[in-house]
Amino acid sequence: MKRSTPWLFALPLLGMLAAMPWAQAWMTAHATPRLQVPEGWPVPRYDFAGNPVTSAGFALGRRLFYDPILSRDGSIACGSCHQQFAAFAHLDHRVSHGIGGVNGKRNTPGLFNLAWQPDLMWDGSVHHLELQPVAPMSNPVEMGGSLALAVDKLRRNARYPELFAQAFGSPGVDSQRLLRALAQFTGTLVSADSRYDRFVKGKEAFTPQERDGLDLFREHCASCHREPLFSDFSYRNNGLDAAPRDAGRAVVSGRDEDQGRFRVPSLRNIALTAPYMHDGRYDSLEQVLDHYSGGIQPSPTLDPSLAHGVPLSPDQRTALLAFLDTLTDESFVHDRRFAETHD
Amino acid sequence: MKNRMNLAARHLAAAWLLLLAGCGHGAAQNGLPLRIEISHVVGEAPLRLGDSYKTSAGDGWSAERLRYYLSNFRLRRADSTWFVNPQSADSSRGYFLVDEADAASKQFQIGPIPEGTYSGIEFLVGVDAARNSAGAQTGTLDPARGMFWTWNTGYIFFQFEGHSPQSSDAEHALTYHTGGGADSPARSVFLQFQTPVQVTAENSAELHLYADLSRLFDGAHALRPATLPTAMDPKAAAEVADNSAGLFRIDHIHKLPKAGLAQGQ
Ligand code: HEC
Ligand code: HEC
Repeated sequence: MKRSTPWLFALPLLGMLAAMPWAQAWMTAHATPRLQVPEGWPVPRYDFAGNPVTSAGFALGRRLFYDPILSRDGSIACGSCHQQFAAFAHLDHRVSHGIGGVNGKRNTPGLFNLAWQPDLMWDGSVHHLELQPVAPMSNPVEMGGSLALAVDKLRRNARYPELFAQAFGSPGVDSQRLLRALAQFTGTLVSADSRYDRFVKGKEAFTPQERDGLDLFREHCASCHREPLFSDFSYRNNGLDAAPRDAGRAVVSGRDEDQGRFRVPSLRNIALTAPYMHDGRYDSLEQVLDHYSGGIQPSPTLDPSLAHGVPLSPDQRTALLAFLDTLTDESFVHDRRFAETHD
Repeated sequence: MKNRMNLAARHLAAAWLLLLAGCGHGAAQNGLPLRIEISHVVGEAPLRLGDSYKTSAGDGWSAERLRYYLSNFRLRRADSTWFVNPQSADSSRGYFLVDEADAASKQFQIGPIPEGTYSGIEFLVGVDAARNSAGAQTGTLDPARGMFWTWNTGYIFFQFEGHSPQSSDAEHALTYHTGGGADSPARSVFLQFQTPVQVTAENSAELHLYADLSRLFDGAHALRPATLPTAMDPKAAAEVADNSAGLFRIDHIHKLPKAGLAQGQ
């Protein structure tokens, strides 16, 4: 006990340091998020018990997410397509834009609350958060490489072996550690502090218009975009095409009744994640509402609840848009813990 | 403070010792391992990658790549109880990736097997549903080995790639990949021993399995490269998966003294 006494003298100094703005910024950037289940939310699907989040593991995951080393030619990082200011969607890109400038066929979704998602991707093709990165890494039009190649590059890298050892407590770079570190980052991207959340907790008031919007939303939209995650995670056809060009869920299930069905996407941060739909066909939420009110295309797999569209008066449209804006979580997109760091 | 550190260090050391004892040489205490050797054949002749063969319907075929998982081994005792080969959630122990192009992958051991009399062996061609959806794995189950689907994540259970003059695919390719999914569990194989196998403190056995590739086409389902050049999703590949389980037979079993096992892996 005696030996540790000198440290006590250092405490006030540490306290002074902590009070300085740059130190605060440093501390937030380095603090480690833990998966906290917001009040009223269901139990997460991804279980961190098998992959406990540590500060070194989370920091490694974040570094990997922003490092183009994971792509074949070192040109594209996860963070190239998933941008924090767009709630980790890809602003202004209809479909993904990958290695060598080649376009993919689907729109880049925002990344948040992934730990609650039973399956990932628009068609639910990925069944486990840890295994999701294998898809973009080996997709010839995304990062164009392979998991084996990325592991090999990380092993030869000057810094990573040390960072892996710190994160996992023993030396060794392998694909499991790579995937688990990434999951420590992607799985802790929790967005639950929008104005809507504060309204629900009674901490903030809605304007009458936003209130009307919420009522309309609950009447017409929430059966699929279910609160609090704003998705029921089912696969539905919301009437985009009479003859879908992308088979969607049917690619995975092989079933005809899944033609043109896609996962109901969350609408959290929706004002930030344009363009919209699996192929990014709509640039604005106004266009999305045009679709639901007058553009539903009939087809054998169209969801019956949308057969007659959702007729909306001009006032109702404005109210609905005002409500959708309350789903933006400013603290999430500005959270320094999730931002690229250059250390 | 110091004491606490020491305690933690001691706990850690104890944990390590337990771990070492657990995955190391338990064999000596609990019994001997059983060795399995696999030969890929066509009828009675050894399969040669690149050689041309014919199905009974007259379609030609050749193999360029043949890889598959075997797992969940069990041995049936004379009294109908089972010895279940140990597998552990934190390693790929008990999951074997057999690759025609890699001689070492065609010989492996299960066990240690408790002393007793055994009448048959059972295993899966592929990976059980629980492990198939358990997240990032290591060893033979490392997804970086390429036996992994990303368009419907999970392991490729059985991978056969080759050519057939009758295939309508580009370059006459012949591609059969089976894998899991809600509707397509890994197929189970049971092989009865002609005479029971004794495992004692001094003797184990080597099981020589033949996997006959002609039965991939002329099996429970008659498959023709002319009409099925590609099978790549659980639905299309269901019949290939059934046939993949019908490839295996026991060619012979021989006694393996303890001394002989030491040379094994
Ligand atoms: C070239 C652009 C691009 C790159 C690079 C990229 N992604 Fe994506 N990401 C996408 C697209 C497009 C989708 C949707 C794909 C689909 O549904 O078919 C997606 C989907 C996802 C999802 C599923 C989200 C959901 O709601 O289901 C996660 C998680 C994800 N990406 C994480 C990553 C990680 C981690 C990396 C780096 C290893 C990465 N992405 C690299 C474009 C990209
Ligand atoms: C029958 C279920 C269903 C109902 C009801 C429904 N949606 Fe959707 N919504 C979906 C599906 C499925 C998608 C994804 C479709 C696709 O991309 O193919 C979607 C996509 C969206 C998107 C684009 C999200 C993104 O990230 O690109 C918005 C915005 C949206 N819906 C808003 C609404 C609003 C507002 C309402 C109510 C007027 C509503 N939805 C009603 C199922 C539904």
